[in-house]
Amino acid sequence: MSWLRRLFHKSRSECQLDKELSFHLEQQIADYIAAGSSPEEACRRARQEFGGIERVKEEVRDTQWETFLESLARDFRYALRSLRKDRRFSLVAIFALALGIGASTIVFSVVYNVFFRALPYKAYNRSVIVSIRDLDAVAGGKVRKYFSPEEIRAIREQNHVFEEVIAYSRMRPTYDDGKSVRFFSFGAVVTPNTFDYLGVPPLLGRTISRGDGRPDAPLVFVMNYRLWQREFGGDPEILGRTFVLNGKPTTLIGIMPPQFNALGANFWLPATPDYPGLELMGRLKPGINVQTAGAELDAIAHHTHKANPGGIFPEDKFAIVPETLLDSLIGTFKKTLYVLLAAVLLLLLIACSNVANLLLARATAREREIAMRATLGATRGRLIRQLLVESFIVAAVASLAGCGLAYFGLKAVVALIPAGTLPEETAIRMNAPVLFLALGMSILTTVLCSLAPALHAIRGDIQPRLAGTGKGVGGSLRHGKLRAGLVVSEVALSIVLLISAGLLMRGFLILTRADLGFDPRNVLYFVLNLPPTYNTNLAGSLQRKNALTRQLLERMRALPGVTSVAEMAADPPPLQYELTDTIIPGKPHANPWETQLEMCSDGYFQTLGLPLLRGRLFSEEDVSAARDVMVVNEAFSRQYFPNEDPLGHKVRLDIFDKPYFAAVAPHDAYFEIVGIVRDFKTSVQDSPSWQLVPQAFVPYSVAGFNWRVFMARTSVDPNSLVKNMGQEVRALDPGVQISTSGTLESALTEFYRGPQFELAVLGAFAFIGLALVIIGIFSVMAYTVSLQTHEIGIRMALGAQQTNILWHVLLNGFRLVAGGIVIGVCVGFALTRFLASQISGVSATDPSTFGFVITVVVLVGLAACLFPARRAAAVEPLIALRYE
Amino acid sequence: MATEPKTELLRGTLDMLILKIVALGPNHGYAIAQRLRQISKEFFTVHQGSLYPALYRLEDRGWLSAKWRDTNTGREAKFYDLTSKGRKQLETEIFDWEQLSNAVALILKAAE
Repeated sequence: MSWLRRLFHKSRSECQLDKELSFHLEQQIADYIAAGSSPEEACRRARQEFGGIERVKEEVRDTQWETFLESLARDFRYALRSLRKDRRFSLVAIFALALGIGASTIVFSVVYNVFFRALPYKAYNRSVIVSIRDLDAVAGGKVRKYFSPEEIRAIREQNHVFEEVIAYSRMRPTYDDGKSVRFFSFGAVVTPNTFDYLGVPPLLGRTISRGDGRPDAPLVFVMNYRLWQREFGGDPEILGRTFVLNGKPTTLIGIMPPQFNALGANFWLPATPDYPGLELMGRLKPGINVQTAGAELDAIAHHTHKANPGGIFPEDKFAIVPETLLDSLIGTFKKTLYVLLAAVLLLLLIACSNVANLLLARATAREREIAMRATLGATRGRLIRQLLVESFIVAAVASLAGCGLAYFGLKAVVALIPAGTLPEETAIRMNAPVLFLALGMSILTTVLCSLAPALHAIRGDIQPRLAGTGKGVGGSLRHGKLRAGLVVSEVALSIVLLISAGLLMRGFLILTRADLGFDPRNVLYFVLNLPPTYNTNLAGSLQRKNALTRQLLERMRALPGVTSVAEMAADPPPLQYELTDTIIPGKPHANPWETQLEMCSDGYFQTLGLPLLRGRLFSEEDVSAARDVMVVNEAFSRQYFPNEDPLGHKVRLDIFDKPYFAAVAPHDAYFEIVGIVRDFKTSVQDSPSWQLVPQAFVPYSVAGFNWRVFMARTSVDPNSLVKNMGQEVRALDPGVQISTSGTLESALTEFYRGPQFELAVLGAFAFIGLALVIIGIFSVMAYTVSLQTHEIGIRMALGAQQTNILWHVLLNGFRLVAGGIVIGVCVGFALTRFLASQISGVSATDPSTFGFVITVVVLVGLAACLFPARRAAAVEPLIALRYE
Repeated sequence: MATEPKTELLRGTLDMLILKIVALGPNHGYAIAQRLRQISKEFFTVHQGSLYPALYRLEDRGWLSAKWRDTNTGREAKFYDLTSKGRKQLETEIFDWEQLSNAVALILKAAE
């Protein structure tokens, strides 16, 4: 070890030791010479006896080290004793810190994993997905994600912004396992360079490579881990086997490791070079940002459009929209995370103020003890070290407790995150960097918080401290301003948290208690996945779809327990619909007039429980004959026919004339309005709120989109009938499958999960913050009162009544709470606007929420001050005066 | 010329002896060793490897205080002096030692 120390610059004590030992040696030599030896003889003897300066130095150094460890151990023991004696301080400080550390570790873990470790793919933060927005379409425009082979070729060849480009499309092939043909899981066709692009090696076998994309190459596919485990029991023998997918023998060449779910698919096949519609993803070259890429791609697209008008790019006016992969996967959740990050920082600040306050109070109370130790010979350094050891113990215990809290809390939080918010590949775990950050934070805060009072306690005159300090008038005032400031800021921060939670709560209640306008109870729905035989491009597909729908509705109605049935085009309410522009003859308009379009069966209104207000609903004959009739809602009538009766008017829905619906929709069709139904609320994408928009309902038989959604109102538990529904579907056409199903109520619950998550976490933080503030106020006030006992005794002896003392202490304490409330409300006012996007139906400065929170904090603050105040009033003057 | 077995007992005793020597008058490390040797009539020859660690320990415990002073040879040396704490400690140790040696003497006498 000594060679290591020799490497470092000789410290001062080293030099001194050197000097001392050299002196000794010289004296020894001098004595030998005086006794008669020759100088060389003397030197030799002396050195020999000395045994080597370095060894002696090492012995001394070892002793130094031992002594250091000894005194450190002593400091530890003393610190433990001291902390055990002052149990209230220790427990409260550890509790507060542990909560702060635990909560922040949880949030940091989530943030870290979502922002930095979301996906296991190579350089995924440079991946960008591209789509085309039709600027002619209403309300922000319709977005097209699928590109034709020509478009893809143009972009691929002409761009300078992408390192590499892949394309893919989700599909669901049929699987012939020799016994029956059924739908396989969800897969994707991908360009052959995709697996290189993603950069994840396979678990078994190999991945798709360029050779597999050649037109004459044998058909292959790669499976993901979950599908392998679920369907094939993880059997490695299936590698190399041939599966008949979509009627063609395809060989399984590889299996991917767990948590690989690229492009939302469970298996991947190579795409043929002229696959009709693929989604695009590209990796930006380093240094190129998303906007630049978007601009160049836009230029390429417009150039190509000009070069062949009427060909690819069917939109007349369009814009290329690039979006980073990460944003597309977690876009809205990011906002939630920012809110939670801010909230947890507030909570951490509250915890730290709490601890700092406690440390200050404690330091004041111990001034006498510290002064005594200083007189008895402890050096400044030793005293500071002593205090630091104490703080370190508190911080260490709190960190351990905090990490334990974080571990369990993280599990709870992850369970609360609504499904589908995060990509499957993201695993939320406690990672080493986050842990170190949390530990570092806690140790840093505690040490800093204790350093100030420690330094303060050490300097200055010792004498006045020895003479009964801290108990007199001076004592309670020392650090008084700092302590007061800390209490005020704690209260202010807690108010901000509480107001935020309160606003979220109100927004959530409004969301979930709203009268939706329809009855979601006991309604079952399921989505049908139609096989390629129903493809819109094939002749007669519309008739086939309509026939299937009609027959299925009949069969469903015949099932016991079903009261009414319906078909519709959209996912179950209250989710999105097609938005269309509305053309009303005689009412020209420049801006698009939005209407939500729903194509449904005649039973739709009854199944949902929508009452008819005027006119009539369309009948079964209307549906079978595919008549151009339309039912509208009140909002439609109010908005587009404000002073007249809409019944009888004919309206054209622009969406049917869009080129991409050309094959499946009637052209230039005018629908006659025959009835008006009551409004019901729907939601708009990405926003947890309800809207009332104009809606138009036409029979499903007029147009044929590929999916069909069926609903049934049941008199029994809807879930019990799902199987029967499936049987009816299969009985009609074995190639058709139910892809998803559920009840309206469950769909609504899923819809609420997002805001619920945010509310739960923020609410927990606000609650913890309030608890910490209460404890903080209480502890500090208790300390202050105990320090002021002497003063109170004097006051009482001089004639003050108990109630006077009570009021005095109470007011003193409450003054701080009031100050904190005022500051907190002002800050809250300024900051809640950032929450505006998360809450619906309530303004960011809702007075009732503010009022409620203020009331709660006032009551709670009063209670926290009351108990110490009562204790102060109960002081016996004689005892207090003698209390020295 | 006794060697110095580095037992715990002797280390504690060495501390006490050093304190006593310093109590006779402040001195530097070499002089302390010399006086120890002289007064014990050559019985105790303290090796530097035991002396200086002991001096360091005693200084760290606050029983000795050290100061650099000029010697008559013109060089500077580190002089050790007894502190009040050290004085008290010396008294305690002497008392303990006397108790110990009395008890040992009693046992040895009784064995006959």
